[in-house]
Amino acid sequence: MFKTQVMEINMGPQHPSTHGVLRLKLGLDGENVKSCYPIIGYLHRGVEKICENKAFFQGQVWTDRMDYCSAVSNNLGWAEALEKLFGIRVPRRARYLRTMLNELNRLNSHLVWLGTHAMDIGALSVFLYTWRDREKILDVFEAFCGSRLTTTAMRIGGLQEDVPEGFEKMVRDAFESVRIGIQEYETLLSENRIWLKRTVGIAKLSADDCLAYGVTGPILRAAGVAYDIRKAHPYAAYDEMKFEIPTRTEADTYARYLVRLEEMRQSIHIVEQCLEGLPEGPVMAKIPKTLKSEVGEVYHPTEAPKGEIGFYVVSEKGGVNPYRFHIRTPGFLNVQAIPLMLQDALVADVVTAVGTLDVVLGEIDR
Amino acid sequence: MKKFLKTLIPTELAKGLLLTGKWFCQVMFSPNRGKSKLHIVDEYPEVPAKVQPRFRGRLQLLKDAQDEIICVCCMACIKACPTNAISLVAGKKEGRKTRIPESYDFELERCIFCGFCVESCTFNAIALNHQFELAVYNREDMAIGLGGVFQSIDKPSPVGKFSYSGKE
Amino acid sequence: MPEMTPVQTLLIAIIQIVLVIAFVFVVVPLTIFAERKVLGFVQQRLGSTRIAGKLRGITGLQNRFMWGMGRFPIIHYFRGLPGLVGDIVKLFIKEDIRPAKADRFVYLIAPCVSMIAAMLVYAMIGFYPGTLFTIPSFIPLIGGLPVGGTIADVNVGLLMLLGIASVGVYGIVLGAWASNSKYPLLGGLRSAAQMVSYEVPLTISMLTPVILAGSLNFNEMTRVTATGLSPWGVIPLFIGFFAYITCGFAESNRLPFDMPEAENELVAGYHTEYSGMRFGLFYLAEYINMSIVAALASAFFFGGPWLLPFGLQRFIPETAFWIGQPHWYIFAVKIVFFLFVYIWVRGSWPRYRYDQIMDVAWKYLIPMTLVNLVLAGIVRYFA
Repeated sequence: MFKTQVMEINMGPQHPSTHGVLRLKLGLDGENVKSCYPIIGYLHRGVEKICENKAFFQGQVWTDRMDYCSAVSNNLGWAEALEKLFGIRVPRRARYLRTMLNELNRLNSHLVWLGTHAMDIGALSVFLYTWRDREKILDVFEAFCGSRLTTTAMRIGGLQEDVPEGFEKMVRDAFESVRIGIQEYETLLSENRIWLKRTVGIAKLSADDCLAYGVTGPILRAAGVAYDIRKAHPYAAYDEMKFEIPTRTEADTYARYLVRLEEMRQSIHIVEQCLEGLPEGPVMAKIPKTLKSEVGEVYHPTEAPKGEIGFYVVSEKGGVNPYRFHIRTPGFLNVQAIPLMLQDALVADVVTAVGTLDVVLGEIDR
Repeated sequence: MKKFLKTLIPTELAKGLLLTGKWFCQVMFSPNRGKSKLHIVDEYPEVPAKVQPRFRGRLQLLKDAQDEIICVCCMACIKACPTNAISLVAGKKEGRKTRIPESYDFELERCIFCGFCVESCTFNAIALNHQFELAVYNREDMAIGLGGVFQSIDKPSPVGKFSYSGKE
Repeated sequence: MPEMTPVQTLLIAIIQIVLVIAFVFVVVPLTIFAERKVLGFVQQRLGSTRIAGKLRGITGLQNRFMWGMGRFPIIHYFRGLPGLVGDIVKLFIKEDIRPAKADRFVYLIAPCVSMIAAMLVYAMIGFYPGTLFTIPSFIPLIGGLPVGGTIADVNVGLLMLLGIASVGVYGIVLGAWASNSKYPLLGGLRSAAQMVSYEVPLTISMLTPVILAGSLNFNEMTRVTATGLSPWGVIPLFIGFFAYITCGFAESNRLPFDMPEAENELVAGYHTEYSGMRFGLFYLAEYINMSIVAALASAFFFGGPWLLPFGLQRFIPETAFWIGQPHWYIFAVKIVFFLFVYIWVRGSWPRYRYDQIMDVAWKYLIPMTLVNLVLAGIVRYFA
């Protein structure tokens, strides 16, 4: 007379908390999640193919639009990959400035993550407080790069322009705001019993699983693996910076929250080092006007806020555009781990898991 | 026992309430349009938004001191544009050695404001100005060219078109 | 009280109902507006200050006018009020969309059930013990008759109140089921479990003032908790208050217990498929429920129309000017304060998970309220 059956429900592509157009096919038994199947591709624009058909320097604008929360990190990875391909040495000042922008960008991206993640769990005000602090950082980007979100910050061989007037004061003002902000988030969340209930032990992903699935970034570090490309394979000016890699061993949502908060503090620390030790000199290397490539292939990994972003470029002789252009985006690999994180989970945990992965569909679908 | 008391008395929840309550009082009792504003929002259309000097807005053809277009139709901007938003037809003009654009079409809906065109220009003939209020009702209005009716590419755009500022 | 004919009773009741409805329909939209403003201030924004519109035309003029209003103190808090009016107008004139496979009848009556249950509760709430005002004698038929501060001043007021209030869950469950859609169904299931669970500790916590006052009559309970409470009675009353306000949050589906419509999980929960005024009825019912919970909290635990709560009122002689007597507007101010607390909490805390909410109800609140009940009994026995 009675029979039970799994209720299939589509969370997304239009859903308030799938951060864009991620679609999760959930099999529900009441509130319990029995199966979860992420479906991507609703934001596919063919970035890699477009980049293969455009001149080398033009590809940057599409890296801006991949992970729109951390455009500078994408730009940096793209620029360094191509510099590696062409064998260009970037001036030291440019490397410092790149490091600085990249860390500001990490701060920005983590603020976006914290705000949206907290709002998914229901803390409305944290969202607006993070947006308040992010605004200051976006102003810095606007002053430096001319644009707030799609920065187009890097050039092959350095940077387009030197620091604008009053830049240091602007950055320090922003940091003052962010420092107070971090304290406020901690007051509102870190010890809050509801927040603890919602995050401790939720969406666990062990270190072995992380490595098996290629999950990188704060999720890997929250599982106890201190792998950070900034330390493992230093690029830009990271070899001259003093900073720590925060790690936790709990591998749950709360650990990731703590790791990211600590990373924000470390980012502030790195940018302050850059500001203090900023060397004089040009910001652009001498490069030919039209770049013509030799036969070659490079893979260059960098540490984006969400994990390892790698650019793989193959070039042919005399080409003005790359022969093959592939991007290893962190979100694409991280999102595979969602079914693994959602064993014995409830519907509300799906939202937490998606939030804690910090997915941005622009880079997953590319 | 301490843990039990901690579970029983939600001090950390109260702390959160105090923080939000603090902001509530501060914003509530600071005048909305006063000089010492504690809220973080700007009332945009009334108070014009400020942009940084390097802000990249709409493309504009620059003119020299004689009110003549500087552009000499070298086509560098067309080659640099990643989205093929620019097209121009070169022409000639009496009493000018270099070429002058007969038409210069800039398709706003395709522009991604990367600024590559401005960088590629060796004559400083174009610039991205500070206009960001670029919404139009008709798609045709997005095609901005020389002598356009709605927006002309060689005129500085009316920044603050949507703003109406009360006298402060 | 003079003897009244049935017709007179009916007319008086109608006057009272009109007054209460007027009060509700002033307070509830203002609560919605206040929610926007308070949440705005909490988050360092300004809340609503303008309405969507063009530069010109009526909306443009209104926006300019509201921008001008920003210069004046106090008034600038109400700058966004035309937006609220616009919202209500929109709710009325919006197309009423019904899903093709919805159960038509149930789908249509569900919001009405919610709304009626919420409104009926106001019949039992005593805004003022005794006579509110006397109708002037020149009016025919009912001239000279007193209008009481309670529509239905019944002996078992609290019982009836709780009975009617628990009907409200039917509106949500029926609406969710009738929508024939998966997200509302989940929301409806959650709300059924949640509201039934929280009904238990809510009722037990309300028994504390009942025991302390020795009555189920609304006005009597209010009077005793404000004026005649023994000093020891404050302790169970206070614990009872915290249990009650927690359950009240859960009963009116507000953060941190807003499971049935947890926006980030279930889109909009049980009213996902509703639009137009049917959605508006659900929306209004939620806010009316909020105001009821606030009214009960201020009446049973914070002295209602009297100035001071917790039996402190007895130190003020009844003959004292103004503060010695109950006033309906003191009651209103207390209701407004609790409504503010609702919004404040919404701006501060995250949301529980569904099973954790059940934990809170069954593992913490019910034992706590039961112990508190025993405590109240002891206080009552010895005092």
